[in-house]
Amino acid sequence: MNRLTQLALSDEGFVFDPLTGESFTVNPTGLTILRGLKADRSLESIGREISDQFEALPEETERDITDFIHHLRTYHLL
Amino acid sequence: MKKSYEKPIILKLQTGFMNKYGSTPYYSRKTRSEIDGVPIDTLVTKFGSPLMVFSESSIRRTYNEVFRAFSTRYPSVTFGWSYKTNYLKAICSIFHQEGALAEVVSEMEYEKARKLGIPGKNIIFNGPHKPFEILKRAASENSMIHIDHFDELMELEQISQQLHKPVKVGLRLNMETGIHPQWSRFGFNLDTGQALDAVKRMKHGGKLILNGLHCHLGTFILDPQAYAEAIKKMVAFAYEIETHFGFKMEYLDIGGGFPSQNKLKSSYLPPELTILPLDEYAAKITNALYENLRPGDYPRLIIETGRALVDESGYMITTVITSKRLPDGRKAYVVDGGINLLFTSFWYKFNLEIDREVPGVNEPAVVYGPLCMNIDAIDEGTLLPSLPRGARLIVSPIGAYNVTQWMQFIEYRPNVVLIGQQGELDIIREREDLTDIDRREKLPPRLAYK
Amino acid sequence: MDKQLVVAISGINAVDNPGPGVGVARSLKEDGDLNLKIIGLAYDAMEPGIYLDWLMDKTYIMPYPASGQQQFIERLQYIKHQSGLDFIIPTLDVELPLYIKYADKISQMGIKTFIPTMEQFRLRNKDCLPEIARRIGIKTPKTAVIHSFEGFSQTIKRLRLPLMIKGAFYKAYRAYTSQEAIGFYHRIVAEWGYPVIVQEVVAGDELNVVGVGDGKGFSLGSVGIKKMWITSQGKIWTGVTIKNRHMLEAAEKFTQLYKWQGAFEFECIVAGDDVYLIEINPRFPAWSYFATGVGHNLPSYMIRHVFNLPRLPAADYETGKLYIRYTYEQVTAMRPFQEMITRGEYSHEKIV
Repeated sequence: MNRLTQLALSDEGFVFDPLTGESFTVNPTGLTILRGLKADRSLESIGREISDQFEALPEETERDITDFIHHLRTYHLL
Repeated sequence: MKKSYEKPIILKLQTGFMNKYGSTPYYSRKTRSEIDGVPIDTLVTKFGSPLMVFSESSIRRTYNEVFRAFSTRYPSVTFGWSYKTNYLKAICSIFHQEGALAEVVSEMEYEKARKLGIPGKNIIFNGPHKPFEILKRAASENSMIHIDHFDELMELEQISQQLHKPVKVGLRLNMETGIHPQWSRFGFNLDTGQALDAVKRMKHGGKLILNGLHCHLGTFILDPQAYAEAIKKMVAFAYEIETHFGFKMEYLDIGGGFPSQNKLKSSYLPPELTILPLDEYAAKITNALYENLRPGDYPRLIIETGRALVDESGYMITTVITSKRLPDGRKAYVVDGGINLLFTSFWYKFNLEIDREVPGVNEPAVVYGPLCMNIDAIDEGTLLPSLPRGARLIVSPIGAYNVTQWMQFIEYRPNVVLIGQQGELDIIREREDLTDIDRREKLPPRLAYK
Repeated sequence: MDKQLVVAISGINAVDNPGPGVGVARSLKEDGDLNLKIIGLAYDAMEPGIYLDWLMDKTYIMPYPASGQQQFIERLQYIKHQSGLDFIIPTLDVELPLYIKYADKISQMGIKTFIPTMEQFRLRNKDCLPEIARRIGIKTPKTAVIHSFEGFSQTIKRLRLPLMIKGAFYKAYRAYTSQEAIGFYHRIVAEWGYPVIVQEVVAGDELNVVGVGDGKGFSLGSVGIKKMWITSQGKIWTGVTIKNRHMLEAAEKFTQLYKWQGAFEFECIVAGDDVYLIEINPRFPAWSYFATGVGHNLPSYMIRHVFNLPRLPAADYETGKLYIRYTYEQVTAMRPFQEMITRGEYSHEKIV
């Protein structure tokens, strides 16, 4: 989780990792998840936040968050 | 109010790939909600997925455009519909209604054309494999046989004897025109004198009457000048034959090979910028005829183009079965139609269109077919927004060579539907079921499962 | 000049194989009489031109030409809407077919270009060079245009090594052995597809001309140079102005005969009295600032011609002027990069 906490996140969805110099782009739902993870919140609570803020079905959100987490792992951010 | 939802996506920036059109909504993303006014949804609900769809209007329009390009420039033009490009009965019939002859290259195709009611004299019989019996039938039905090799020539002499009549034949030629690879395996080589030897033999045998020359340079030929070269050589040869052997060429058949608006994987720019309009081919070809023919001599010009007439009229609708994240971070989609149905995916990069507007950014994606085979990929590197399960991807152009070269492999082949000019929806080939596969198989009783 | 003209320039990838855009922008900035706003069109957020705030007023990311005309035109419409856009100087070979084919559409949007026609553009095809060379009284090396590997090995035998192996748009390699030639062939096909051009190597000095034709048979100006030192990528690093009468006359005749419209670069090999035409590039070369530096501001001539502005007095150039390219470093905040990534555009204007 260390690498994640150091990430610089901009509101526009630009992500900079000062540890490695890598940059990423992230969309608004992805940004919400990243911020949640940075704050060490549970996936359930992040999922709830997304369902509250966006028009999404909880089942869809759950599957999409899992995919997003996989994606973070492929980038070794998690 | 809640914001509209997009699937969460994170993309790493990579050197050399920092162009936001890789990742911005609504760019390089095409949607298609209908084909010829018929909603994709209606098509799938009625006929299932995957589904091959052909547009009759588009076929007729293309045929007429290309035909006019030639017929307005030269007084005697005939098209031959290349069966191997697409020999579904309905598709062939559209071309025959428009006035095309049948151009066939096998026993099966010959029988197919005859069964459709095409008289032998309107069938051009090409190809290296014409078994004796079918060759004899074609000769007795006065079809336009293009001799491919010496053994065929001898067989035709034999047939002439059996039928007690001289047989009219054409000669397939191959030659150097600047096109590589040169298709030297078909017909007789002009440059080495092989073709001339064949004519001598025919004259000597006294049983065959040579009345046409045929050549087919290759496929997806991007340079119309090659046809002009071919015509120059064919016309010179035709006059040489006439002078020395007394055979008068009634027609010149320049084959096909015109490109379609499909993107070859080996081409960087899109087809709209690399492929010349067929009008330019027509201009080059007819100019070459006028430059080389004797004044007042207009042998019939036969053209057997297949791909250019039908490719853009065909679509395949597929449905997303699932998606997964590959270890390299790319998104992978599995759709219900793959290379089993799209043989041309080996050399084309197709258009992929989505049946709906999908919010969110594009991300690098791979589109796999349904086969349990690693090579089953329709597109190994494209950009798509996050597609939900059940979304439809429409693949095009697929009208040429797919419904003939597709495989009955692992999956059943799907329905093929024709959208008529008045919006009629007709199945022109039914979805297969187990009986199609079972019918030809025999199980020895001793092997039966007990 | 009162009214400001907004001019977009592509090819601002001033890297080790530099695009021509930065030199063109610099030339335009040096014409103090022109009231210009310069827009850089980039294909990647890392193109150095984006970060040169003294040359660019604003930069936009463009969709790649390979993605087709619709996106491309839509993007130009957007830029026109955002920044106003009066003129575009495309400087990259791969985007020219698109600009040429859709020149009418672009002009209907109120954006001018001054580029060759499709017929003129096709002259650059390597198979046209022998005919052009003959008509303008110079020579050309033996050349073959290859569309498949089968033709390739025969061609190597026929033309004899060493040979130049070239892509239709980019890349040129010199091959001494057939193994090398095959390697280069595959490298080009993998990146740029077909055709591949195989050309006989002619020994001599590499002399070039940059010029602009007015489309009616007249030249708006031209400068001849010799490349004294080229990089491993074949790009000029040091050069000198020259006046090779034979070559300059050939270039003049080319402009006249083909009524060339727009910028062009004539690449020649000169051996004694023989001038061989190697390539015609239908755009400004990457070194076009050299011409500006010796008094022929060709990009400015072009704009003045298109917009009917007073012409600069006709000037001659001196021979023996040197051109030295050098590297330079720019340090900047993350901001422009970040905005090019997330928004696809960045304005230097707002930094005061």
